[in-house]
Amino acid sequence: MAPVAPRSGDAIFANVERVNAELFTLTYGAIVRQLLTDLEEVEEVNKQLDQMGYNIGIRLIDEFLAKSNVSRCVDFKETAEVIAKVGFKMFLGVTASVTNWDADGTCCSIVLEDNPLVDFVELPDTCQGLYYCNILSGVIRGALEMVSMKTEVTWLRDMLRGDDAFELQVKLLKQVPEEYPYKDDE
Amino acid sequence: MGREVAESCVDSILTEMVSTYCNRFYANKPELAARRIEAIGYQVGHQLSERYTMERPRFNDHLEAIKFICKDFWSELFKKQIDNLKTNHRGTFVLQDNKFRWLSRMSIDPSENGDLSQDNPEAAENKAAQMTSMHLYFPCGIIRGALSNLGIPCAVSADMSNLPACSFVVRIKA
Amino acid sequence: MQFFGSSDISPSPTVPTASGNNAHMMYVFNRNGVCLLYREWNRPLRTLDAQQDQKLMFGLLFSLKSLTAKMDPTTAEKGNLGVPQLPGQGCSFHSFRTNTYKLSFMETPSGIKLILVTHPRTGDLREPLKYIYNLYVEYVAKNPLYTPGTPIRCELFNTSLDQYVRSIA
Repeated sequence: MAPVAPRSGDAIFANVERVNAELFTLTYGAIVRQLLTDLEEVEEVNKQLDQMGYNIGIRLIDEFLAKSNVSRCVDFKETAEVIAKVGFKMFLGVTASVTNWDADGTCCSIVLEDNPLVDFVELPDTCQGLYYCNILSGVIRGALEMVSMKTEVTWLRDMLRGDDAFELQVKLLKQVPEEYPYKDDE
Repeated sequence: MGREVAESCVDSILTEMVSTYCNRFYANKPELAARRIEAIGYQVGHQLSERYTMERPRFNDHLEAIKFICKDFWSELFKKQIDNLKTNHRGTFVLQDNKFRWLSRMSIDPSENGDLSQDNPEAAENKAAQMTSMHLYFPCGIIRGALSNLGIPCAVSADMSNLPACSFVVRIKA
Repeated sequence: MQFFGSSDISPSPTVPTASGNNAHMMYVFNRNGVCLLYREWNRPLRTLDAQQDQKLMFGLLFSLKSLTAKMDPTTAEKGNLGVPQLPGQGCSFHSFRTNTYKLSFMETPSGIKLILVTHPRTGDLREPLKYIYNLYVEYVAKNPLYTPGTPIRCELFNTSLDQYVRSIA
């Protein structure tokens, strides 16, 4: 049986159950607002959003793999492309691009110009230092960890802070292959 | 149809929101967690209701507003209408959704008897029921927020005694 | 339940099997060796207790993956025997057959391993295993009451799995 090629982001997005982006945007906004009220410190909110994203990412990876038909995840370069073209498309309905590769192919930027999370969102001045979309960095980090890649994800550009795009830097720290999990004496 | 995202996005953010408030922030204070989750729902419902009624005239009475929630509003959110609406004509309405989308994947199996170290089945069932009702605070808040935007203060609670059907009980404040 | 409308994954792929026979058993492991699911439909002979049985199965597959990659005659680049591999690296073994049973295996890049043991005349189960992975996504990964990494106790999943396996074996 010939290996099945991975599906395109557009094809998958057309076939999954979709909902009004508004519900998503408003729910996320309400969560961020509530977190700001409950936690008060912007740094704490950033941390919580990242943690929430991580928890989402470790579940979402299986949906991603099942629907996109990706069966191998070895090359970091390929992985980044797949996240940008397939991952973002099949969940958020938007495509991202990958740029700024470093010399040894372990660090790149994922750039997003269109982002449903921030539709109609304006940050008040009291939220200096808030990474509103920090959930995305957690999702990517969590999902990649489940495919054996430990990464560091940081924001380089943020449209809510006046930049012209959203830019996430994804740095591969190490690949962690599966070890035999049982102790030999058992 | 406006912009869309995968339903997974909403499911994921809801699950994680409930988990964050119940397991991490207010692990031993479920009432506080519930209130926060309901408050988040309230904000969402209020804003959505505002958007969906922008080009409409105001509703004549409470029943009209409730019907809006049951039909147009519910359709925008869940691609279906409320299946059954009951009222006691004294300010209480019961909105029943026979297959509430946000509950459709909730499932446990407390009768599994393979693992001897497992919690007793009753505890597992109770925990599941608690988590399920925590998830329902969000749509209760949405309904309360939506009605509040229409000038109707009320209290909303959920009745899940008939899963997978779910009823939302709206008590309008005099 | 229909997944994507595409013809790649269909609910009942044509698989030449002996009709009327049920599958024997199924295991689902995660990357840490935790047995997420053990489901038994038809297993007259059991020689070990559940925990040992599961560890044996996991260990067997772990070794087989390594061995099959090492013995691959088509590629010069092979890992050393015993050195852990990344999911997807090397060739991917997907089944073995004895005179009394066939074991079909699928591993996802996220480390989820699906093992289905059936009648020896069962055909290629790669598509059915993918379908089962989709069931896992729908009813386990997306179940708000499920904690990732823990044993699966999910009635919806069990029911759909039982129903599907009955239709293919």
